[in-house]
Amino acid sequence: MSKNDELKKILIVDDEEDMIWSLQKNLKSERLKVVVLTASSGEEALEVLKNNTISLVVTDIKMPGISGLDLLIEIKNRYPYTSVIIMTAFPSNEYKKEAILRGSLHFIEKPFDINQLRDMIAYALKEDNLFKGTVAGVGLTDVIQIKCLSRVTSALRVKEDDKIGIIYFQDGRIIHAICKEMEGEEAFYSILNFKGGMLDSLNVSDMPGQTINKPVEALLMEWARRSDEANNQEEETELEQLAPGFGRVADQNINSGGTNQSATGTANVTEEDDMAELKDVLTEFTNIPGVNTACLVGRDGFLLDSIAISGIDTEMIGAIASSGFGASESMGRQLEKGQMSMSMIEYAGGPVMLSPIGDEAFLVIVAEKEANLGMIRLKIKKHAKQIAETAAI
Amino acid sequence: MSDGKMLDIAHISFLDMIKVMITMSGAASAKGTLIRNAISTAESIHETDYATFEDFLAAIENSTNPITQVEGKASHQGEFVFGLAACPFAPSIGNYMQVFEKLPDGYADFTAEFNKPSKVTEMYRVGEGAGVSPFCSVHQPMRSAIADKIKIGGKKIKIYQLGCKAGSGKKGFADRWIEETGVSRDIVDKTLDNHMCCYLLKIEE
Repeated sequence: MSKNDELKKILIVDDEEDMIWSLQKNLKSERLKVVVLTASSGEEALEVLKNNTISLVVTDIKMPGISGLDLLIEIKNRYPYTSVIIMTAFPSNEYKKEAILRGSLHFIEKPFDINQLRDMIAYALKEDNLFKGTVAGVGLTDVIQIKCLSRVTSALRVKEDDKIGIIYFQDGRIIHAICKEMEGEEAFYSILNFKGGMLDSLNVSDMPGQTINKPVEALLMEWARRSDEANNQEEETELEQLAPGFGRVADQNINSGGTNQSATGTANVTEEDDMAELKDVLTEFTNIPGVNTACLVGRDGFLLDSIAISGIDTEMIGAIASSGFGASESMGRQLEKGQMSMSMIEYAGGPVMLSPIGDEAFLVIVAEKEANLGMIRLKIKKHAKQIAETAAI
Repeated sequence: MSDGKMLDIAHISFLDMIKVMITMSGAASAKGTLIRNAISTAESIHETDYATFEDFLAAIENSTNPITQVEGKASHQGEFVFGLAACPFAPSIGNYMQVFEKLPDGYADFTAEFNKPSKVTEMYRVGEGAGVSPFCSVHQPMRSAIADKIKIGGKKIKIYQLGCKAGSGKKGFADRWIEETGVSRDIVDKTLDNHMCCYLLKIEE
């Protein structure tokens, strides 16, 4: 075996002959012992890759024929363990994001200092020394938590069919994620929703800006809550299809009394009917396990209706909640956050949720710790309009 | 603040506190807080039972009537309609205006909020157009709540707020209560010509 056979091979791809010449001449150094191969197009690069074991490809992004990004896709499909550094004279976040999603986590902007590229190549080749392969039967959340516990700085590429997402870790904290057009938390939750696929752990020489500020526990809890909510929505939709009218006790009552105004167009819904209907809707909330109190309160804090466990002074709760609700709205206005849809206060004994009902009232839901928050949110969304209409607010 | 104008800190603080409440938690919540405060005050008033309506009027004249004790002497216009010559908050408003020339920001929103139909306007038969300033949300429910503690000949009484007049002279009419009580709007209008507040006392059957 010759000495060259032991050295790692890198392939430079650029349509500018001067650039190829310069890199070929200057890349090798005492520290970086590599064999440098070259190609002046994407097509030629694929030929070189077919006939050689290449550890690293350094490619320009804009080339006639197969572009650098297309070459990257081909490399990741055919030679998944070959690292790729993208060189570009046209720095663009869109290019960068596209390249990251396609599998390259190393970029260098032209013109660059040759030492900078040497460092990057050395770093990428170190990644080449790590274990590679697949570990079956491991949950994505487990891998994420292990990465956090290990305080690593790296990226995790998750692939399910044609969907690709990348989660970035810095010193064990999740700082960024990308998935399709999404970035930050939304991308992270979207990646966690992948049903299975491949995981790649990658070293990153150029960490992106931070878009995620929550600890991993909070992120995983929020994802669990969203999943819970989505599952409940699906269940309710299925139930609705199986048994139309599910969860609309109030409607059933009105129908059975024959006073449904919208149905007959003439009959009057009496105040008593409205009150009963309102109670029925509030019962929808207290029927959720762990929810013990549901109050409908005017924005001025005067109680309009409630269902509560004994010992709760709902009149007082309404008055106090009015300040909290008003303060939350005022803060939203001050921060120009738009209309408030919900406010939740977490206590050691469980949460209290406040949600506007029409323009004149709001709902107070008092729950225990173990209550299904997703279900409460879902019920609020589902019944808010009905409550507003029934209470004429 | 112009030189030579005295500032009553109690008045100024109260008026500015309302402004801060509106900013911090919105007009609706601020309104609710002031109304609860007024009701709380009314709850501490002792119950009174006058033998006749004339005794009730006499108690106004000698200032022993609980309503008179919080708002001053109202005059009976006939047919149980009363007019109050001076708004009990006039000194506070006057002092503030003298110093700052206009009422604090947010007062118009607050007043509009008070005039909206709500559980409390329904319960105390106030607002519905009869509010001309945030102080009406203190004064009107307080008077009605005090009335809940008064009987005439063993019968409960109810107050209906019919109208009110701002310091600028602009009148506000509670058309809902005017209609419900059957009092002529002209009578309310005339009463407000030389009074700041107009209400009806109804002795329940």
